[in-house]
Amino acid sequence: MIRKKCVAMLLAGGQGSRLGVLTAKIAKPAVPYGGKYRIIDFPLSNCINSGIDTVGILTQYKPLELNDYVGSGKAWDLDRLSGGVHILPPYQGQKGGDWYKGTANAIYQNLGFIERYDPEYVLILSGDHIYKMDYSKMINQHIETGAACTIAVLEVSKEEASRFGIMNTNPDGSIYEFEEKPANPKSNLASMGIYVFSWDKLKKYLIADEADPNSSNDFGKNIIPDMLAQGEKLIVYRFGDYWKDVGTVDSLWEANLDLLNPKIDLNLADPNWRIYSRVGAFPPQYVSDKAKVENSLITDGCEVYGDLDYSILFENVTVEEGATVEYSLVMPGAVIKKGAKVRYSIIAENAVIGENAVVGVLPETVSPEQFGISVVGDNLTVGKNAQIGPKNVITENVEEGAKI
Amino acid sequence: MRASAVSGIIFANSRDEAMERMTGIRSMASVPFGGRYRIIDFCLSNLVNAGITNVGVITKSNYRSLMDHIGSGAFWDLDRKRGGVHILPPFNISGARRYHGYVEALYGAMDFLNRCNSDYIVLCDGCVVANVDISAVVDFHIKKNADITVVYRSGVKVQNVKNMMTVKIDGGDRLVSVGFPDSIEADDLASLGILVFGRELLIELVNNAYENGGRNIDVDIIADRVGDLKICGYAHNGFSAVMTDMKAYTEANMRLLEKNVREDLFNPKRRIMTKNRDDMPTRYGTKADVKNSFIADGCVIDGTVSDSVLSRGVTVKKGAQVKNSIIMQDCVIGENAVVTDVICDKKVYVSNNTVLKGTSDRAIYVEKNQKL
Repeated sequence: MIRKKCVAMLLAGGQGSRLGVLTAKIAKPAVPYGGKYRIIDFPLSNCINSGIDTVGILTQYKPLELNDYVGSGKAWDLDRLSGGVHILPPYQGQKGGDWYKGTANAIYQNLGFIERYDPEYVLILSGDHIYKMDYSKMINQHIETGAACTIAVLEVSKEEASRFGIMNTNPDGSIYEFEEKPANPKSNLASMGIYVFSWDKLKKYLIADEADPNSSNDFGKNIIPDMLAQGEKLIVYRFGDYWKDVGTVDSLWEANLDLLNPKIDLNLADPNWRIYSRVGAFPPQYVSDKAKVENSLITDGCEVYGDLDYSILFENVTVEEGATVEYSLVMPGAVIKKGAKVRYSIIAENAVIGENAVVGVLPETVSPEQFGISVVGDNLTVGKNAQIGPKNVITENVEEGAKI
Repeated sequence: MRASAVSGIIFANSRDEAMERMTGIRSMASVPFGGRYRIIDFCLSNLVNAGITNVGVITKSNYRSLMDHIGSGAFWDLDRKRGGVHILPPFNISGARRYHGYVEALYGAMDFLNRCNSDYIVLCDGCVVANVDISAVVDFHIKKNADITVVYRSGVKVQNVKNMMTVKIDGGDRLVSVGFPDSIEADDLASLGILVFGRELLIELVNNAYENGGRNIDVDIIADRVGDLKICGYAHNGFSAVMTDMKAYTEANMRLLEKNVREDLFNPKRRIMTKNRDDMPTRYGTKADVKNSFIADGCVIDGTVSDSVLSRGVTVKKGAQVKNSIIMQDCVIGENAVVTDVICDKKVYVSNNTVLKGTSDRAIYVEKNQKL
């Protein structure tokens, strides 16, 4: 096996339970984003753009769609004779097998995979975030500082800080303390869940962690505190560009509509930093003379006969005549029938919103407590004239005329 | 049928002279069409959708853009261990001439024909846009026990079709005569440039015709052998367009604005595949006003677009008006520019406030990379 300087390990096994119906059948990294992408396109594209061509994807929860999507890795140019992309599910060994007990255990169970490439550095990534990042800069900093582990951090506001893992640092950027969701944060440097480890150190701490029966085998809870306790050099890498965790319905909706906000710097059209995705063979979009389209993103396979404002249509969506879609995401294959109104909602894959049905409300029409994004699950039908209020999550078909 | 029972051949420089201005820099088969496609995508997809995984593409000249487009063939699933897509350049075998007709072209591709080990060969003209069920054509050919099958365009009046072979078919689907420009009759049917032959017969017919100085399949093989070979006609009932001149090209693009044409041409059971460029979705700004248009990914639209076809990566700036036009990849239409009845080839830059108006009968054609 040809030696690789850096191997990336992408943690893609989480359920993403806060996304509810959107991850009922698929793993979170496979959730559609931005019209023609899925969340996993971001770390995979970042890898290939950063010169990393060997990526292990650790899967566990509902991996079928994710496996299918990643395929040979060709869409990201990760189909390589040496290296490339590898799906790494939990497996049975001679002495039995185990599910991945935690993020650290997932890597531990695949030490053999990493060893084949005999790398100097291992990059740990997660499949939960929308961001563009040149990992090679982070790896360079790691080499220059001689750190055992480098952790990417983002400055957040003091209020937000208690939702994150916070790194307390010395003036030179070295970390003296890690606090998970502190009530009274001492710093505003939040961990992005992106780590570069020197391979020898990572291996040593993973083996020690596995031997500890009381460990929860987690990077944030165990590996990082253990390394700090042993006096290892841990250094932050500051990241200042767009980064968003898409762990909840609201944050997923927001991160999508950020693409329509000219003030937010998330350019997916940069030819020097393409975000690759695996797309179907659909024809260009058609916008009819009955349609009115403003402030929106539309992609291949869509047919638009109705009105769109501040919305994103994913592949192969149809919006029929007289229908309106505002501040919403309509995921692949969904159909919005004649006269239907969709506002502040996420319509999941292949859902059908019946004629004159109403999903979601405009925020000004209800009190702030009542307001929220509504979600219609994949492959569901909302019957004619049905009305679905704000903050609803639809998990079963809705009958004609029903009010929810 | 075994995996390699049928192979395909596409003529890439098909009727280049019909659209000289567009084919000056490329082959007919690599002329951009329908927003995100090149004409060859339809031929390649039709063959692949019929399970054909061994395809030769015969080229003559200007084939850099074609080779760039096809690459390894992966976008059509034609990067195969066995078979796959093969570019067949001219001067392929010693003594071969730069060809003038398809007989000479096939003679130059004799290596491919001899080695491909298929029972049947499907020949496709690279100037045809249609979604044709080739597997049904091959089944028909076998069932009819035909020597040659010609796919014709049902319902297309021959007087509208320049330079294409026309045929008369009898009630038993048998081809009874071939028409030529000076002898076309009103009830003649237009060929769609798709032919099926038994491989060994094709080799024999090409060798014979070549030795006798023959150049064209229609004259020197089909018309010549109507009497002694069983030649059958298969009707293609769906949408079809043949790029016989710039007007036909413009009209075919504009037909994509019709729902039934899109449904037929982009039949989800037989997808049309093309090279993917990873553009982001098309962005419509606050001032965008788009009506009756067919638009590929990667565009940024802040102006007015109506009755038009936009390829990938086109920018239409504020106040610009695009009407009845075909705008190819990466063009920029500047602020307050007016573009009506225009074909802009790739990467044309129309400066702010420029007015370009053709007529619905005769569109203005702007060459690649021009700055106006």
